[in-house]
Amino acid sequence: MAIEEKGLGERDTGAAPRSAGERPFEGQHRPETYDGPLDAPLGGKQMVVNLGPSHPAMHGVTRAVVALEGETIKEMKLDIGFLHRGFEKSCENVTWGQCFPYTDRLNYVSSIMNNVGFALAVEKLCKLDVPLRSKYLRVATAELHRICDHLTLVAAMGLELGAMTVFLYGVEARDLIYDRLTEICGARLTSNYVRVGGVSRDAPDEWVEKTLQTLDRVTELRDTIDALLTRNRIFMDRTRGTGVMSREDALDFGFTGPCLRASGEPYDVRKSAPYLVYDRIDFDIPVGAHGDNFDRYLMRMEEMRQCDRIVRQCFQQMEPGPIVVEDLRYVLPPKPLVYGTIEGVMAHFKLVMEGIKVPAGEVYSYTEAANGELGFYLVSDGGGRPYKLGLRAPGWPMVAALPHMTKGALLADLVPTYDSINMIGGEVEQ
Amino acid sequence: MRRFLGMVLFAICVPLSMVLLGRAVYWLVAGAEYLATSLGAPPTYGAAIANVILLMLVFVMTTAALLTIGERKWSAMIQNRIGPNRIRVFGNSAGGIFFLAADALKMLTKENINPSQRSRVLYELAPMAAFAPSFALFAVVPVGPAVDSVVNGVRTTVALQVANIDAGLLFVFGIASLAVYGTALAGWASNSKLAILGGVRASSQMISYEVSLGLALVGSMMAYQSLRLEEMVRAQGQLLWGFLPALGFFLQPVGLLVFFVSAFAETKRTPFDLPEGESEIVGYFVEYPGMKFGMLFLAEFIEVVVLAAITAAIFFGGWHPVLFEGWLRENLSPIWFASVCAGAFLTKVLLLCWLQLIVRWTLPRFRFDQIQKLCWKVLLPVALANVFITGALILVDPSLELLGLVGLVEIAAMAVITAAVSRKVEVPAHAHAAAAAVAGH
Repeated sequence: MAIEEKGLGERDTGAAPRSAGERPFEGQHRPETYDGPLDAPLGGKQMVVNLGPSHPAMHGVTRAVVALEGETIKEMKLDIGFLHRGFEKSCENVTWGQCFPYTDRLNYVSSIMNNVGFALAVEKLCKLDVPLRSKYLRVATAELHRICDHLTLVAAMGLELGAMTVFLYGVEARDLIYDRLTEICGARLTSNYVRVGGVSRDAPDEWVEKTLQTLDRVTELRDTIDALLTRNRIFMDRTRGTGVMSREDALDFGFTGPCLRASGEPYDVRKSAPYLVYDRIDFDIPVGAHGDNFDRYLMRMEEMRQCDRIVRQCFQQMEPGPIVVEDLRYVLPPKPLVYGTIEGVMAHFKLVMEGIKVPAGEVYSYTEAANGELGFYLVSDGGGRPYKLGLRAPGWPMVAALPHMTKGALLADLVPTYDSINMIGGEVEQ
Repeated sequence: MRRFLGMVLFAICVPLSMVLLGRAVYWLVAGAEYLATSLGAPPTYGAAIANVILLMLVFVMTTAALLTIGERKWSAMIQNRIGPNRIRVFGNSAGGIFFLAADALKMLTKENINPSQRSRVLYELAPMAAFAPSFALFAVVPVGPAVDSVVNGVRTTVALQVANIDAGLLFVFGIASLAVYGTALAGWASNSKLAILGGVRASSQMISYEVSLGLALVGSMMAYQSLRLEEMVRAQGQLLWGFLPALGFFLQPVGLLVFFVSAFAETKRTPFDLPEGESEIVGYFVEYPGMKFGMLFLAEFIEVVVLAAITAAIFFGGWHPVLFEGWLRENLSPIWFASVCAGAFLTKVLLLCWLQLIVRWTLPRFRFDQIQKLCWKVLLPVALANVFITGALILVDPSLELLGLVGLVEIAAMAVITAAVSRKVEVPAHAHAAAAAVAGH
């Protein structure tokens, strides 16, 4: 008995896969319906197909259990959590500065945007204003990562609809951007670039010129993808009118970002509540009309063009200057100061061992990440670590709406729908 | 530049080697006839056996196997990749050809996993049932013209065709429709939900497309007044208005389009790869390990070759070299002229295989209902209309010149429509966010 209680050896009937004693999902017997007196009843059982957790269409590790009648999806259940890492709880055990690597793993395709979101939340709590150059660097790198994210979506959408060529073009463009980001922050995927009070490094020499060249090449590749997909009859047939989300439904489900804009609601945090330097930059936000997969795809294509504009404007407006606040309460002192002065050693020690002393209070800060509104709810007790941290993952409402969007659709429609909401396991499952 | 020169060299070498291959096949077939006569059998027996071995086993099999590598290499070139180059012999990857041996070895040595609830006989039968019919289709394809010769004192003809049967095209339809059993059985017998979805998709798709496949060729049958592929090919040698060869491409452009699309659907490759649908249902062969999967996989490539061969025979002049044909006929010995013809045919087959690779690596996949809509609402009416129009035109002008004229107009119309449709560009509406500004950061 004691062994069973500890969960050793014995099979725990309460645990997965039938979570909490729930009846296994079996689909329903179709009731025998008569349309007329001469119709023969076609009673049949639904077929329950298990897609995932390792299935080509399930990004990351997600399991979808689909009840099919023929090929029509009658019911669908999503089983997420295979990538759960305990992000919120983990952050409570580390200093504010050490949370940044954890935020990298949220939307791992566009990690700098998560960094920026978290840094802005902490700075909001600290009432800290960062130097202008670091703002531009944050916006430029974040928008580069937005291009990465959208490229991934478009490319994966092509791949899963059978056009593998598109995928490799998209990945080529994405890797070029990753190379530039590696040069500025030292990592391809988990960039850990932003700090409370600024950014970790300045752009290296000639990085701006190189990035502009990269953007030119990315534009070429993006136009190739555009030519391959946007006017492609098969692609249009596959994506138009599938996975439709009306504006009202999208708002009810809590959509944000490109998926909401595709449904016709012109809401973008960068416009409605500009942060950093977005109010100094001229860019448009595309808005769709139908809320189907094709519109969501078009949003991504157009947003990539706008990101391109934003990055170029950032580079034009950016001027040399400090990249972090010169305040040793928030930012690690430069190494000569650490080795040469007692104040430097102390500041370094306190920041590393105890963390930034963030004033007590709570705050909700939100930014426009690639998939929508990325919100951080922070509670600080005045110590060096978050007292409580809550995350509003932008991808989560879209994933939650998936059964609604695919109800009555064909099994094949599940694939583009799943692609176009851009479910990223890291952020949804935290 | 190096790659371009390499491609030019390749483009020159392929037809030349095909001509030499044709010459070698003629020589071997003649040799087989000699052997047959020495054994007291009619020379045609020897020719048939030699053709089965040389054309079906050697040519089709080798081309299909090489296509697996060619596909990888060509898709790599489309996608800005290098492609297969890891296996090197003496430091040379030779375009990845060694992967052929590696793949075969890998498939043969894989663990033979059998799903426990399978239907044993059908499960084992399915790969063969998929493999054999696509093979047999090649039997009626005339690869080269018949050459008169005297073998061992007997006057006979040496032809590169396994069987010149009267109902040539009907044989094609009949055998092509057998191919569905392999996939449907594979889906059903392996007792997997995903596999049966693939099998059901495959059977419905292939049965639907057989209708338009057949109807698309009716126009050609009427134009060339024959069901024999050999005679259809010979009829394409005549000239319209004294200069334009009466190729099926000019006489039946709509038929060609419908046939090519339908046959593409029969091969089950992208954009018609729903039975496979690797990102949705993984495919009807999901439960097949090792070489059993290899056979189902190779069957697709054989279908590609056979489809290319039939298209080349009916719509692109078969073994007619088309260019400089008269000059070649006058200045070459009959056997070398025949070899050039065979080389021309094999080159056409390779070009059409290549075209299929391009399509496969460019387009996304259809959805199940769209595929049926395309078949029953677009291809079938078009094919029917083509049958009636072709019939009327042949009735009015049996010399085929009117048909050729209408065909040219159709080609021009298709080109114009394609150009016009690809112009339209859609731009999403831009709007600045009108949402009320929220107190932000």
